[in-house]
Amino acid sequence: MEKTKEGLDKNNKYDRQLRLWGDHGQTALETSRVCLINATATGTEILKNLILPGIGSFTVVDSCKIQGEDVGNNFFLSKDAIGQSRAKVATELLSELNNDVTGDFVEESAESLLESNDGFFQQFTVVIATNLCERTLLKLGKCLWANNIPLLVCRCYGFIGYIRLVIREHAVIESHPDSAHEDLRLDRPFPSLVKYLDSIDLSCMNKKDHCHTPWLVVLYKYLQEYKAKHQGQIPKVYKEKNELKELIKAGIQRNDDGIMEEEENFDEAVKAVNTALIPTKVPANIEQLFEDPDCENLNAESSNFWILVRSLKEFVANEGKGALPVRGTIPDMTADSERYIQLQRIYHNQADTDVAAVSRRYHDLVQSLGLAGCISEQEIKTFCKNAAFLRLVRCRSLEEEYSPQSEKIKFQVQHLDSEDPDDVVFYVLLRAVDSFYDTHSSYPGWYADQVEADVHKLKGCLTKLYHEWGVPCNIKDDYVHEMCRYGASELHTMSAFIGGAAAQEAIKVITRQFVPINNTFIYNAMKQTSVTVEL
Amino acid sequence: IDLDTIDVSNLNRQFLFRKEHVGKSKAQVAKDSALQFNPDASIRAYHDSITSPDYDLEFFRKFDIVMNALDNRAARNHVNRMCLAADRPLIESGTAGYLGQVSVIKKGLTECYECIPKPPQKTFPGCTIRNTPSEPIHCVVWAKHLFNQLFGEEDPDQDVSPDTADPELTADAGQKALETTSAPEGNGGLKRVSTRAWVEGIQYEPQKLFNKMFRDDIKYLLSMETLWKKRRPPTPLDWDKLPNTVDGVVPKETIQDQRQWSVQECANVFSRSIRILQGQLAEREDGGMLVWDKDDDAAMDFVAAAANIRAHIFGIAPKTRFDIKSMAGNIIPAIATTNAVIAALIVMEGLKILNGDIEKCNSIYLNRQPNPRKKLLVPCALDKPNPKCYVCAPTNEVTVLLNVEKMIVKTFEEKVLKTGLGMVAPDVMLEDGKGTIIISSEEGETEENEEKFLSEFGVRNNSILKCDDFQQSYELTLIIVHKEKLEEDQEFVIVGDVSELQAKSETDTGTKAEGASNGACNQTGDIVVEEDDLMIVEDDPVETGTQKRKLEDQDDETGPPSAKKKKLSADKYASTDDDVAMVS
Repeated sequence: MEKTKEGLDKNNKYDRQLRLWGDHGQTALETSRVCLINATATGTEILKNLILPGIGSFTVVDSCKIQGEDVGNNFFLSKDAIGQSRAKVATELLSELNNDVTGDFVEESAESLLESNDGFFQQFTVVIATNLCERTLLKLGKCLWANNIPLLVCRCYGFIGYIRLVIREHAVIESHPDSAHEDLRLDRPFPSLVKYLDSIDLSCMNKKDHCHTPWLVVLYKYLQEYKAKHQGQIPKVYKEKNELKELIKAGIQRNDDGIMEEEENFDEAVKAVNTALIPTKVPANIEQLFEDPDCENLNAESSNFWILVRSLKEFVANEGKGALPVRGTIPDMTADSERYIQLQRIYHNQADTDVAAVSRRYHDLVQSLGLAGCISEQEIKTFCKNAAFLRLVRCRSLEEEYSPQSEKIKFQVQHLDSEDPDDVVFYVLLRAVDSFYDTHSSYPGWYADQVEADVHKLKGCLTKLYHEWGVPCNIKDDYVHEMCRYGASELHTMSAFIGGAAAQEAIKVITRQFVPINNTFIYNAMKQTSVTVEL
Repeated sequence: IDLDTIDVSNLNRQFLFRKEHVGKSKAQVAKDSALQFNPDASIRAYHDSITSPDYDLEFFRKFDIVMNALDNRAARNHVNRMCLAADRPLIESGTAGYLGQVSVIKKGLTECYECIPKPPQKTFPGCTIRNTPSEPIHCVVWAKHLFNQLFGEEDPDQDVSPDTADPELTADAGQKALETTSAPEGNGGLKRVSTRAWVEGIQYEPQKLFNKMFRDDIKYLLSMETLWKKRRPPTPLDWDKLPNTVDGVVPKETIQDQRQWSVQECANVFSRSIRILQGQLAEREDGGMLVWDKDDDAAMDFVAAAANIRAHIFGIAPKTRFDIKSMAGNIIPAIATTNAVIAALIVMEGLKILNGDIEKCNSIYLNRQPNPRKKLLVPCALDKPNPKCYVCAPTNEVTVLLNVEKMIVKTFEEKVLKTGLGMVAPDVMLEDGKGTIIISSEEGETEENEEKFLSEFGVRNNSILKCDDFQQSYELTLIIVHKEKLEEDQEFVIVGDVSELQAKSETDTGTKAEGASNGACNQTGDIVVEEDDLMIVEDDPVETGTQKRKLEDQDDETGPPSAKKKKLSADKYASTDDDVAMVS
């Protein structure tokens, strides 16, 4: 961020979140354009959670006029605004949350916008839809799918919350894995590392230097000793690792009375045997990326991600000799700064060399494809650093999900007859509710005097759905009653929850950091449980 | 109730606060903003600390639910005790980045906040900070102490000069050092003049300050030779000869806050920030002092610069200002989305309580990503109270290991009773047949006892102390176990369950068992929370709902038909009355 007054203010305002997704994540957020369809309680709660952290702009699409019911569960609609445009009032109140975000609105329904101006939605980074009927939803899904624009479908229905992410292909370079092993290459050290490690001789050191030798060096030294005894093999199983540990322990210096000195670096080396000697190899999901047709068949339409993956693949096959680029960082360890910094430099320089090789391959590919190639060296660096953690999310389209032939659905709905079924049961019920609305133009339980009748009708819708899937209906009546009890209510606390969860998915999509859901998230507030399934 | 005022860094997640509110009372602004949503709600704002005696039992009894959104253990312990004493349900919650948790505490029914002893918060031995830092955090702590010595409240526990009483030194090593080196300007080790008086004497001249802290004091440390036999000795720095290079590997093209400063740059920032802080101090009344604040630029600059200079001297990897801010400010990342989810979960549990269904409440943990069973949310049944809890069990008992001949009453009160056992205003009586009062919460009554050792009152091995905190309505029986010396130079150890102590002394295998079984689903661990406000729901929130409901009904003609059902069948989750408010 720039060093202006404004930049500093922003740094302070966003300080607590910059620590999670960094400046580049924040920049992505600040240049994003978010569209919300329907300013329902859930919709405005989602936007609230995107406006506070500072998206670039938002647009509310809504043709409704505010009713008493809206004011009862929506923080962003006021009582005195009843009868006014819901899009306009929500936009005004939401805009108050953050001066850095611009907001506008369109007083038109998504349905009619899709008919009159289907290019409208192409301007957005992500579209968030609430309260759409099945027909409009599928139409919108198709339009956005064609244009490769991510869609988040969100819904709060009684005590059930639902989020569906529809994204054709989403590549995540910075997936922030929960736990990652260090990339130290002790099993296959690169030449500059070997040269350095071989230049160190533990046996002719004074006491102080000995106990301040980085554990990495210690481990390497005794690993050579071990390998010499075992035909060049590194220890793999527990017993072998223990043997190496004993070798290291035997190397701890002793004082004149023969008592072992305390050498923290040796303790660290022993501890590191388990994790630092995991063989260096290309992870299976990265191999999979290498074999993906999008990687194999590059063309002028290929995205930067795929060109980078291809460059990486070629690097592995050539300069990398079967391994990914060196990550270039080493963990903290007991050591004197001089040797620690030397080691740090060696890894860092090797990482730079590897990045340069990948970069060369990338530029060659771009040129051969006749593309401009608009990517900074920094981005290539980030890519190489995260090469072991690349993630690709390909969601199924709504069309595939809603097709009666969908095998995924058939599989999921088969096991819902147990005493305590998976929360997927509510997905099926929501589908039945939509089909109910399609036939009866109202929601089950909406009218107080028709609840019983609606229970029967909803059961009918369920049976029809199951019939289409060709699976026997197995959902308990209790659930149908419960669904009718909701009467399509949207509770504010539910909206707050889904507002938080959905906004976080939107932030993942916009910042291209962390791995978004694939593809459906269901929240059951009665039991405080949730489930993520691919449908 | 919230003691805090609004800071810019709150705005990224607080939809009740806007830019124009920065500096104002959080409680008041939250109230004003919330009233705009529902002018009929009755909300009272207190810009105050929840530990104040004004909020007594009677006060807590006025409420149906208490909700905690605190950021520190002391206040949490206190509210926990108040709610236990007042027999009111407490919803305890916390968030940290993507993680969050919500739990419900009810006397006799559930585990209380203190049923499972929490690991003590990390502190560092004084001699590591003053003499032998080995990690960046040691330098950061030292720099914060230096700030307080120079500009803030002086605390003898926060001395920054070399420590001649380091246990690693032989009895006379410190003394020898004193003799062999001429005592540095400003009396590095000797405490003839306080640091504050000295620095005022030199009028906060940055160059002199620098040379004392980073040259003379370091030379003095070097003279304590035993410390450096097995350590890399520090390198004194001279203001006039500073290296202009950066230690370690420097990534290019980063922004100011995340760029690594060279030692020369650190010295410049050090000097500049001292001048600004000196100005701030001058604006205060005589005897005024500054309070270190991570969001105050000069205060943050000072600590970042001083910590890095010290790190360089001791050959410790330097850190960026951005990272030091995290370390020094105990910053916990906080975002709107996690807070929205947790707030919603809190209200969900609150609704159950108000419906009289407290036994249906859960503890809920929000994970960073779906777990292997695809659960992002993990609900757990509430645990039963720990019958041996020293806070909520019918008879409270705790054992404390300490040296009765070395601990003075003041330390006992501040560190053992207040910090360790979470009391606010304790009275302490020795069970010696006479009922000797050692500490009284009445101001001035036992002041003369403060500097005396516990043994002077007859406290010895197996002595029983009756501790009573009137404010918390909390009584505790404290059993003293006299120990000459404790592990790792601890001053005292608190053992909740005496049988654990016996088990430990017999087998010396530690005390893990009890805590571990409990932690089965507690993957998120003990979360520290970002927000430091306590919210008390004064009126049944259902009433709020009812208000809105009426409004809705009035307008039903324009909206959905008014034949909407009012009473609901299949009443699984709520009594019929409240149902109306929950389901619209």
